[in-house]
Amino acid sequence: MMGVISDAGKVVIFFFRILGVWKRKSISSQLMFEQIWKVTMQSALTTGMAGFFVGAIMTIQFTMQMKDFGALGYLGGLATSTTIREVGPLLIAFMLAGKVGAFTSAELGTMRVTEQIDAIRCLGADPIQELVLPRFIAIVISSFFLLGLGLLLSIFGGILLGEVFSGVSFEEYLRHIPTIVSLPSILTGLFKCFIFAVVLAVICTYRGYTTTGGAKGVGLAVVKTAVGTMVTIVIADWVTSLLADITLRAVLGT
Amino acid sequence: MIQFKGLVKKFGDRIVLKGLNLSVQKGEILFILGTSGTGKSVLLKNLMGLMKPDAGQIWIEGEEVSSFSEEQYLPIRRKCGLVFQQPALFDSLTVFENIAFGIRRHTKDSEQEIQKKVTKALGLVHLKNIENKFPSQLSYGMQKRVSLARTIALEPKVLLFDEPTTGLDPVTTSAINQLILELSRNLKTTSIVVSHDMRCALDIADRIIVMDQGSIIEIGTPEELKKSQVSLVKDFLSEVLEKEARQ
Ligand SMILES: Nc1ncnc2c1ncn2[C@@H]1O[C@H](COP(=O)(O)OP(=O)(O)O)[C@@H](O)[C@H]1O
Ligand SMILES: [Mg+2]
Repeated sequence: MMGVISDAGKVVIFFFRILGVWKRKSISSQLMFEQIWKVTMQSALTTGMAGFFVGAIMTIQFTMQMKDFGALGYLGGLATSTTIREVGPLLIAFMLAGKVGAFTSAELGTMRVTEQIDAIRCLGADPIQELVLPRFIAIVISSFFLLGLGLLLSIFGGILLGEVFSGVSFEEYLRHIPTIVSLPSILTGLFKCFIFAVVLAVICTYRGYTTTGGAKGVGLAVVKTAVGTMVTIVIADWVTSLLADITLRAVLGT
Repeated sequence: MIQFKGLVKKFGDRIVLKGLNLSVQKGEILFILGTSGTGKSVLLKNLMGLMKPDAGQIWIEGEEVSSFSEEQYLPIRRKCGLVFQQPALFDSLTVFENIAFGIRRHTKDSEQEIQKKVTKALGLVHLKNIENKFPSQLSYGMQKRVSLARTIALEPKVLLFDEPTTGLDPVTTSAINQLILELSRNLKTTSIVVSHDMRCALDIADRIIVMDQGSIIEIGTPEELKKSQVSLVKDFLSEVLEKEARQ
């Protein structure tokens, strides 16, 4: 338990260190765009596929619950709203944790144990500025692209299964999306997506950057990244849901 | 030129360096020998500011650097070049960009000057026409030489070598040892060489230090060392002498 708390503390300190470097030093936009491209391309296929199936599953689940009430007209709106608000961001964060998080911690960890990070410092550069920061920002930005992609495909998945499984035509499926998918649910989704991306980015770069103990250490860093990000993302989901709810109530006065 | 005073380094409960005292003269070649895990690499990393000592002082040309910040360390890292135990080349960069990396950051040289320095550094390690290759396309021995070139391209006054020949074949080993001697004499650098190679130490060192469990147990010129009564030193020596007797 003490270990977990001290780890969490170190991650938070590392986060502020990244922010400090971001504020003080310039960042090569070329390095950053390379990373954004890499992260997005790495995860586009898996995220898109997962999005498609989530849309499909949501549609099936809602159909089974709603058809007895004869409320299938609202199917598209409800499935899409749930995806944007909750399942989409969570799913995409898990996807990114599995792919990008593991990859980034392994990459930085390998650079650490092969002394490349020390070499960068000896050659007069700041590894936080040149290695960690571009990856950190790239993960956060890419996760928005991937969220958009995932949501788009989840709507396709929903439409397809609406036609095949529920007998709802695609005009009917789409009709209630604008009425049910409200601005608050979109904002909640975006906010969650942002928080999850930051959590993932800071944990995987921290784990990679602080790897010790050779090839075995790199393996351990990847495992710790996977476990740490999944657990923290679930906790963050709960906290952000609560925060979003409170904020929306306060703002909308309901 | 360089002085360690009562240097202590701990990892958790483990004390790796136990109050180490050492001074290095300008222009000398100093060899540090010792079994694995006695803290030789840790000593070099403390000197480069890659790790901070828990106690003690590090003096470099009249400055006490152990409490320096990362920014303050920049000129020190310009002055002292460390060649790592592993090649530590950047996989995603070509040989040229690997060697240019430090020049770009430590100096304001033009592309033309950088080009010249890279070619010169590669020449010093007897390599040419590999500027556009990636590290993964080179043999381990070549990677180690490129790594050496990357460090000497900055023309440091002090060269630190961490096991430059470990894991290399005999031919490359003697080529690299020859190179260390040449560099020290031609560029007039001060060299600290961490090594297991007693033979080579006896051949090219001005002074030799033997470390065991975080302390210096013997120090002297090669001639003095041959007469040492310390058992670990005798072990190191007998290995060399036996091998020569067999040949
Ligand atoms: N970053 C580190 N964290 C924890 N222990 C370390 C670290 N670096 C070195 N050590 C430990 O310090 C001891 C000395 O290591 P090192 O200086 O690499 O030995 P060597 O003399 O073979 O170069 C070893 O036992 C090693 O496990
Ligand atoms: Mg070592």
